[in-house]
Amino acid sequence: MSCLYTQATSVNEAVSALIEAKGEAHLIAGGVALVILMNEKLVEPSWLIDISRIEALRGIDRLPDGTVRIGAAVTHREVAGSNIIAEAFPMVPEMAAEIACGRIMNKGTIGGNICLADPQGDPPIAMLALDATMRAAGPNGTRDIPVREFFVDLYTTALGEDELLQEILIPPMKENSVTAFGKYAARKAMDYTSTISVAVRLIRNKSSGNFDEISLGFGGVGQTPVYSVEIEEILTGTTPSDALFEDVRSKLFNVLEPIDDHLYSANYKRHVSAVTLRRTIMKAYDGTWDGEGVLIR
Amino acid sequence: MTMEVTLNVNGHEHKFAVEPTETVVSILRDRLELTGTHKDCSMGICGACTVLLNGQPVSSCLLLAPQADNQEIRTVESLEKDGKLSPLQEAFLTFGAVQCGYCTPGFLMTATALLEENPDPDRKEILEALKGNLCRCTGYKKIIEAVESAIGR
Repeated sequence: MSCLYTQATSVNEAVSALIEAKGEAHLIAGGVALVILMNEKLVEPSWLIDISRIEALRGIDRLPDGTVRIGAAVTHREVAGSNIIAEAFPMVPEMAAEIACGRIMNKGTIGGNICLADPQGDPPIAMLALDATMRAAGPNGTRDIPVREFFVDLYTTALGEDELLQEILIPPMKENSVTAFGKYAARKAMDYTSTISVAVRLIRNKSSGNFDEISLGFGGVGQTPVYSVEIEEILTGTTPSDALFEDVRSKLFNVLEPIDDHLYSANYKRHVSAVTLRRTIMKAYDGTWDGEGVLIR
Repeated sequence: MTMEVTLNVNGHEHKFAVEPTETVVSILRDRLELTGTHKDCSMGICGACTVLLNGQPVSSCLLLAPQADNQEIRTVESLEKDGKLSPLQEAFLTFGAVQCGYCTPGFLMTATALLEENPDPDRKEILEALKGNLCRCTGYKKIIEAVESAIGR
């Protein structure tokens, strides 16, 4: 099948092509997910719009109010090496450095990964824990979508067919906030199947040791990247203990909806998610889990 | 649609009329007959098709020709200079890091990029760099030793 190719040089040009394509086009940035689907003949694009060379989609900046702006076409390699991001949200470069392997990090983009909306994706759950905003560009300019409204179904986002993700805005964290990312993968360099991950942002009360606030993202345990207000509410205002984490573990069995696959049963994934959650929380809380072992950062 | 792309492969410019969905690994192997770049999983998992795009390792099975338009690509064929293997290639032979050879070009290109970026990597950095390349023969030990022995050469 013949395919059209538009090398967009501006956001407006990409949006114009999307409008003209009426939902028939695929956006391509790094291509590391889309071309797999093409090679597998799961996607046969009739129109590709290449957005990887649009300058406005690049760059990482700290805005005057402390918000960090990451262009949608910034690569995982660039995220992993960014001092601006590391200073503001240490978990994010650690997460990016563990995405697949160097070859994929060099081409894959944070925006592409988020827009794929793979339930096993790592950037999406980091953004859930950080309450990031997805800024979309469309025919009427830009539109801000809270990340908790962005993932609507399996591989489906809130973006309209004439919209693209322009940038990610991560708001500054409150004082004393800490972050951590934990991942359980069948093979370290492969996030392709049966990967369970957790992203954590929390505030530890200096006098009581309680969680004053906690925000979580769960990967590999549902139709989309998942968050759970219920679990966050159970944890808020408490101090870590065996009883607390056992309570959370049993609640997670109701909250999470993973599927069985060729490696793990759904219940095993629920269990691993609970263990990964506990360890990742403790890594953020007091560093008692260093991220080593089968559970990798 | 057919479009024209210019690829700089191993220092030589080539113009091709391509379908936009054609991958770089296909162009290298089928049009330039540079068959050192191996095609295997077509999912970016195995690393056999690793080439350097502007000096950085990428999976050429996941790289469409227009994505590489006007970019520099280096393949395993670029490592040999004037009939002389690179120190890394020599080390692979010396240490027996090659058995069936299918994964070897990918390992060589990944390790070449590592040593260019970080001339004195420790073992942890070597393991990290090579973690995305699969070898089903050697057990990796000899490959890692070969890379270590090529440091500084």
